[in-house]
Amino acid sequence: MPTMRVDLESTNPEYLGQVRYAMTFVSEDVLSYEILEPEGKVVIELRPGADVESMQGKVQQLLERYRQNEFGMKSAVYLDQRRPLPEINAWAGMVERRWATPVGEGHVILRGPAARLHALVDRKAVTMFGGEFRAEQEIFPSTIESKTLDRCNHFTSFPEHMGFVSHLQQDLDVLSQFSSACRTGGWSTALHDGKMGAYDFAISPSCCYHAYEGMEGWDLEKPGRCITAILNCQRYEGANHASLSRLRSFYMREVVWVGQPSWVIASRAKAEELICQWAKDWELSCTLEIANDMFFTDDFAVKASFQRQQEAKRELRMDIPSDKNSISVFSSNFHATTFGKAFGITVGGRPAVSACVGWGCERWVYALLSQFGFDPVKWPTGLKRDYDSLTTEGTL
Amino acid sequence: MNNQDMTKTLRDYIAQHYAIDAGDPDFTDDVHLFDYGYIDSFGAVDLVNFVQQAFAITISQSDMVAYPMNTINEIVQFASLRKQGEL
Repeated sequence: MPTMRVDLESTNPEYLGQVRYAMTFVSEDVLSYEILEPEGKVVIELRPGADVESMQGKVQQLLERYRQNEFGMKSAVYLDQRRPLPEINAWAGMVERRWATPVGEGHVILRGPAARLHALVDRKAVTMFGGEFRAEQEIFPSTIESKTLDRCNHFTSFPEHMGFVSHLQQDLDVLSQFSSACRTGGWSTALHDGKMGAYDFAISPSCCYHAYEGMEGWDLEKPGRCITAILNCQRYEGANHASLSRLRSFYMREVVWVGQPSWVIASRAKAEELICQWAKDWELSCTLEIANDMFFTDDFAVKASFQRQQEAKRELRMDIPSDKNSISVFSSNFHATTFGKAFGITVGGRPAVSACVGWGCERWVYALLSQFGFDPVKWPTGLKRDYDSLTTEGTL
Repeated sequence: MNNQDMTKTLRDYIAQHYAIDAGDPDFTDDVHLFDYGYIDSFGAVDLVNFVQQAFAITISQSDMVAYPMNTINEIVQFASLRKQGEL
């Protein structure tokens, strides 16, 4: 098996994290890779017959993205609540108890207490945040027009994780041949080649895009609108798919504000206060800190460092002792007029600004079980109180 | 160039370069240029280049992290202190 060893210019954890995340998307000829942190190298195992010279060029191109930071990489921690925790392999424990069953790359079925925790996180988000901001409930489709994502500039920031949707061509021969081939030889991806219609839809990679397209051309009453919705989203993550911490298919609850800048900014700040209250009540081992998106384009440096400099993204990160890492379970995002301008949404004649906060429900389940284990009796008082109140309602 | 001249130079550049309406009541010397959507990340790169050239100063990555430069007045204040060697 051919192997490449490439020097990394830095051992900065942020840099290594970015490289580790992105390396899977260099080429389908990359079979596996490992970052040797002390040596500052990445070792890449390639598919036999891969063009090594071309691969070296691609790897260098990728590494170049993360070398520069136009506006510096600002960092600040606004909540630092740490507690000693045992190492619990939550994923293995969930699978063993049949609380989780993997059903394909990055796809998991949850049941039992894991499903109840999922519902609890969502319900608490709705009652605590939806109530505070009098958010209007909206119901979104799980797919979205590709042209809508294009208008949101999603493809120029995150092309790597898109899942496009199509259908077999409306043609009697195509449909009959497909059905007949499945009957005789079983289904395979090859049966789709040249037989698909347009990829005019995609699986929603995020919840809030529908909120903006739904208000296209609206002139809002001051100070603006607050919306909440939950959506099953999809992001393809290649080799990064792992347990519940990075799923391909996952649920995202969001609260979205669209309106006047001062109101949107104040609402986002209040939401961050609320999530800190929640973290304290459940005794989470976590931080609230400045973050950036993993923009998968050559202009990563401009976008990510500007995002940090403006504190346009903050994340609540929960410690996962067994992974010796932390994962983002809640993010708070400010978009300025990006979506207001893209969809002609105004307030008082000026383009509306927007912000959103989002919960990755499966990640919450994983982080809670990783920190507190499988016995609710041993959970922190606030978490147990909320969990018991949900289970005694008789709905689950 | 005094602070007043620097402010006018910067205000005129931003208004023209980022196509801001002449009568926009929100566009003041104290408005947060990024929160209000006048300038985005790529526009910010152009703005930093302009400020360095127009006021003959350098702005480093650490300056961007350390000093708030979100309004016209904040940028002028920074540029003025940098020119005087106080930053």
